[in-house]
Amino acid sequence: MRTLGEEEKKAATKLAELLKLLGLDANRDIELEDVELTIGEIVLDPSALTSAALKHITPPKMKAIAPPTVKPTTILEAPFTPFIQEYPGKIREVTLGATKSKGGSRKPVVIGGATTPAFYLFEKTPPNPPVISVDVFDMKVTLPKAIRMQVEDVWEDTAAWAKMAVNKWGAKVLTLHLLSTDPLIKDTSPAEATKTVEEVLQAVDVPLIIGGCGDPKKDAAVFKKVAEVAEGERVLLSSVTLDMDEAGVLEGVAKAAAKYGHLILGFTALDLNRAKELNRKLGDYIPEGDILMDLTTAALGYGLEYSFTIHERARMAALMGDTELQHPVLSGTTNAWAAREAWLNLGPEWEPRSLRGPLWETVTALSLLLAGVDLFMMMHPDAIRTIKKVTQQLMTRGKAKPEKIANWVNAKI
Amino acid sequence: MSMFDDIPVDVGVIYEGERIRRNQMHVELGGPKVEAKFEVVKSRPMDEIEDGKITVIGPDLKDLEAGKSYPFGIWVDVAGKEVEEELEGVIERRIHEFCNFIEGFMHLNQRYDIWLRLSKKSFEKGLNSFKMIGKVLYRLFKSDLSFIEKIQITFVTDPEKAKEMMKKAMVIYEARDARARGLKDEDVEEFYGCSLCQSFAPTHCCVITPQRYANCGAISWFDGRAAARVDPKGPIFKIERGECLDAFKGEWSGANQAVKEKTMGEIARIQLYTGQHKPEQELYPHTSCGCFEAIAFYIPEVDGLGIVDRGFKERTVNGLPFSTMADAAAGGRQVDGFHGLSIEYMRSPKFLQVDGGWNRIVWMPSSVKERVKDFIPQNMVDKVATEKDVNTIDELKVFLEKREHPVVERWKAIPAEAAPEVEEVEVEAPLEIPVSGVPITAGGFKIILKDAKIHAKKIIIRRVEK
Amino acid sequence: MTEREVKRGIKQLSPIDVYMLLPRTNCKECGETNCMAFAAKLVNREVSLEQCPPLLKKEHEKSYKKLQEMLAPVIKEVTIGTGEHTVKIGGKLVLYRHEFTYHNPASIAFDVTDEMPLHARFPGEEALIERVKKVENFLYNYIGRDLKLDMIAVRSTSNDPTTFRSAVEEVTKATDLPLILCAFDPSVMESGLIVASGRKPLIYAATKDNWKEMADLALMYDCPLAIFAPNDLDFLRSLSKTLIEYGVKDLVLDPGTFPNEGVSDTLNNFTMVRRNACKGGDELFGFPLIGTPITAWFGEKDSKEMLAWNEAYVASMLISRYADILIMRSLDGWVQLPTVIWRFNIYTDPRKPVSVDAQLYTFGKPDEMSPVMLTTNYALTYFTVESDLKNFGGNYYLIVADTEGISVESAVAGRYLTAETIAEAVKNSGVAEKVKHKYLIIPGMAARLSGETEDELKNVGLPGWRVIVGPRDSSGIAKLLKEKWPPKEGEEE
Repeated sequence: MRTLGEEEKKAATKLAELLKLLGLDANRDIELEDVELTIGEIVLDPSALTSAALKHITPPKMKAIAPPTVKPTTILEAPFTPFIQEYPGKIREVTLGATKSKGGSRKPVVIGGATTPAFYLFEKTPPNPPVISVDVFDMKVTLPKAIRMQVEDVWEDTAAWAKMAVNKWGAKVLTLHLLSTDPLIKDTSPAEATKTVEEVLQAVDVPLIIGGCGDPKKDAAVFKKVAEVAEGERVLLSSVTLDMDEAGVLEGVAKAAAKYGHLILGFTALDLNRAKELNRKLGDYIPEGDILMDLTTAALGYGLEYSFTIHERARMAALMGDTELQHPVLSGTTNAWAAREAWLNLGPEWEPRSLRGPLWETVTALSLLLAGVDLFMMMHPDAIRTIKKVTQQLMTRGKAKPEKIANWVNAKI
Repeated sequence: MSMFDDIPVDVGVIYEGERIRRNQMHVELGGPKVEAKFEVVKSRPMDEIEDGKITVIGPDLKDLEAGKSYPFGIWVDVAGKEVEEELEGVIERRIHEFCNFIEGFMHLNQRYDIWLRLSKKSFEKGLNSFKMIGKVLYRLFKSDLSFIEKIQITFVTDPEKAKEMMKKAMVIYEARDARARGLKDEDVEEFYGCSLCQSFAPTHCCVITPQRYANCGAISWFDGRAAARVDPKGPIFKIERGECLDAFKGEWSGANQAVKEKTMGEIARIQLYTGQHKPEQELYPHTSCGCFEAIAFYIPEVDGLGIVDRGFKERTVNGLPFSTMADAAAGGRQVDGFHGLSIEYMRSPKFLQVDGGWNRIVWMPSSVKERVKDFIPQNMVDKVATEKDVNTIDELKVFLEKREHPVVERWKAIPAEAAPEVEEVEVEAPLEIPVSGVPITAGGFKIILKDAKIHAKKIIIRRVEK
Repeated sequence: MTEREVKRGIKQLSPIDVYMLLPRTNCKECGETNCMAFAAKLVNREVSLEQCPPLLKKEHEKSYKKLQEMLAPVIKEVTIGTGEHTVKIGGKLVLYRHEFTYHNPASIAFDVTDEMPLHARFPGEEALIERVKKVENFLYNYIGRDLKLDMIAVRSTSNDPTTFRSAVEEVTKATDLPLILCAFDPSVMESGLIVASGRKPLIYAATKDNWKEMADLALMYDCPLAIFAPNDLDFLRSLSKTLIEYGVKDLVLDPGTFPNEGVSDTLNNFTMVRRNACKGGDELFGFPLIGTPITAWFGEKDSKEMLAWNEAYVASMLISRYADILIMRSLDGWVQLPTVIWRFNIYTDPRKPVSVDAQLYTFGKPDEMSPVMLTTNYALTYFTVESDLKNFGGNYYLIVADTEGISVESAVAGRYLTAETIAEAVKNSGVAEKVKHKYLIIPGMAARLSGETEDELKNVGLPGWRVIVGPRDSSGIAKLLKEKWPPKEGEEE
């Protein structure tokens, strides 16, 4: 060791400063990477400072190629604050069904009222959970086996079917599809169709959605009659379209709905512009608070992503202030069964279909649940049960128990 | 349609594109073989019209000789509280559509070019009088354009009368065109918004003004006016112009407000007469949807603008075809350097005036140039290159210089292209660490090295507590 | 960064901005005609910067860095695996798919444990090699695309380094699929990494107790590292910060997937993390998210079907809400079919409607007198028409024209479907050689093209062809064919 000269003392000071600058402290190490040292022998020890002299030692030349990195030794705190957005708009709240005091005989159900995108509980808790309406038909229909097995005991008797849906499956809302009114099927008259409606109104006390057959003129005639007969019950007429407007029958239906205190579902085919247009037109005849929207539900595999995106867009637009889209939204989730993959025999590795089908309907529903749908039309009890359960669970935060999954990696089956 | 049960042939949309060939026709009206032919709509005061009156001047259909071509005119008088001279053209354009709805009745072109044919089949079915055609037109006009309160239609086959009335029609067309072209954006109180393309481009909304046609090329300010009148709740709506924020750029507070609403705040400002998006210079172009007829694209090498239309299938002078640039411009965005527009807008005196207008256009397809030639300033016509003149940027540069195109002046203002930067990276920073005895005051450290040339991937200097 | 600024980056990036930073030599090494074309494709995320060799040279380093920043997705893209079998996860540019499109479809990994027998010793027993093979062989053909599964996750239930090491080794020999190694004990993890080096697996995961060792392993073996912080976003974020400073570049975030009562927290956490990155400019959360629906299998006592069902629906929800990887257990076909289809669907580009191949399709056994129909290649249109034709029964030729996936009405309006394109499609289909008649049925919404189309057909060498205007909705095909097919000769003059 030789004695430190002035030069060396200066350099040493420099190094000390450098090390300080680099942040050598209790929490951090300094690491130099890719370092080449040409040295003889040195032992560097501060205690030798005062006395020792260094002899014949070639000072190391260090080529620091990469700048030194400072590595943390404990966790650096970075608390989390969620990005919260302010929404100038909100979705209207709509009540389905009316109690005796309001002229009906239903157990009403309230939907809508969202002030944030679907289930953003970290911003606000949704005021009303989405609700499921169970499908019932006024005639026997061709159904995939998975569903047929569930309803074939009752499908000859609409009232019995309705009762089963409410009592056995816990339906809070029912959709009565008046399929028989289709001119190409049975062409049942409005008078006959309303008889069925009356039967069902008698049989159950849940709010009703009345489904037409899809023929604009026929539906208009049927809806007008139903509106009259079901006065006070605040049913949802499903649905009216811009085709009805072109055929000149929209006004009649809307006015009848308004007169007898019912709700109207405006249906458009994956087109927000037309949805808004239809809402504007309906708004001339019926209070805005009585209008719901069906933006089209395409089955999983047959366009579900279009539905998903259009629902997300619609909900965001409504929250950002577009009043023409601030109506609660309904999904015809039963459409999921239109997908071949929901019921077709695809071979043994895709069985059992009794699970595949209901899962198809479930996945369709869940995607739309997360896109903001407020009211679901569904068919299979397993799918219905799952959506009900998930919806309930989604309504409350803070129930997650970390210890339940903390060691999932090691868990044995 | 049940509204036409008394008409011997079918009436419906499915007949729209129907063609009737010479060997199928009973008779031809107008067309290239005759001189006198016209169709015109004239707005009149309410008391001058008898609603539903259909007149035939000259022989009726049944009295025309089979196989021949005849001079022909359709004169439609309309009246109504909301009917204005400005809407005549919009109403007139429907004659073509409505005639074509009639089975076996073909209508081509418009104004003084009309060409109609009646098929033998339909004639034999009983369509043998203009009164029937008139009835169909009457009903369709009334149901589709509800603001028309009274309408009377006159069919002219008398050669002398046709000639005479045609002259009158020509005067009407002239006056109309002069008025339309003369109508300035500053002259009107409202613009029209169109959100028809929002299905494709949710953040797009066209603002249609007298001097800026809709991007798709299909809707003029007059069309917008009529559409908004017919269907105020439809996709085309009125925009109160509001305060003029910048006349040169074409920015109005009302238009901004409407666009902001219709695009949910995505687009907050637009200026009608620029294609540039440079917020730092306060330039906000009209958005482009996806169905625009043409694109104006920036060519950095010459600091000029090129134009290409949907019909041009080859690569443009910058090597990109319409489709690639359409992707860049589309989607309802304001994209600097790529701007969707209509061909009619190129005929506007305000055409891209903020960017330099025709003084900045350096290249366009020859077919488009032909179509708008009359509206390119005389001194610029030969200076704008087409695919017939040049096909690459280098050729374009030479062309522009030779022709002394105004953009050449701009080149001199820009400094020579900067050479790509070469960065000196400090590779070596020899650090001489002195031997021992470094007086680090607090705490201590030990570095022990023996024997060597060491290449260390890592040296850790760690603080050690005393 | 405000939301507007973040958005501006994606939505209003002009090819010109990018172009000005490229070498602008027009050398074509990237495969494009010129630099402007490359710039346009870069903005559209159709190509990557690395495809420009001149840009990677020293003299353009500054521009390259600037371009990387300009084009950097708000969620980092992380690569797992090497060679031909890599997956890229993350790389998302937006929160909602309608804002642009999602990139890098979520990858689905299936677990094997290190205590599983290698091969089944009796029928029905779950075994490692068989499971790995099942994952590899999964295949479903959906609208012309092969849907497959993506990764294997090797879990250590033994917690023993040697056992884990041997299991990982077996997996690496059995498959080339990218891997996730799951162990919380660093020495166990290391033993796995030793035999998987060169495969660049995802290390799952760093936690409160092992982060430093896991970080060292990640750096040493150059692997991406997952962070597991169940229902604790403060910790997740802190660990992200720490690890980034530590030098780990590729992170994957796991806020915890809780089944049943915890599902609300799960979705809220995923949403908050992704949203903070996309809308709040939070770079610490700018990393892919990993969901583990497999947790549905642990803890709850229920039938196998019920557990698989729960896992399945949780998986679908996580696909909808931002998960970039999923670790699942159930390989049942009925579970995976909706999962892979939903994953495929949500990752399609919403700007480019899904299309089917434009070609000639046949129904039944069409002969020389069967009707010839035409429609567009928009997937929904095609499926609707196909369904109607099948329901009605019969033998038909269906020409599907390429309208870039746009429906009939819009294609006619937007001039994607014109008389010319129809004539081209008919000519290219070769149907003229297959039928004796000369009638083409076009969709009702294309009525106005009927006359022109007949002219155009002549122009492409098909004179004498006639166009019949069909129904506006394909459900009316039955009626049309009843009334108008076969067309009576002599009706045309």
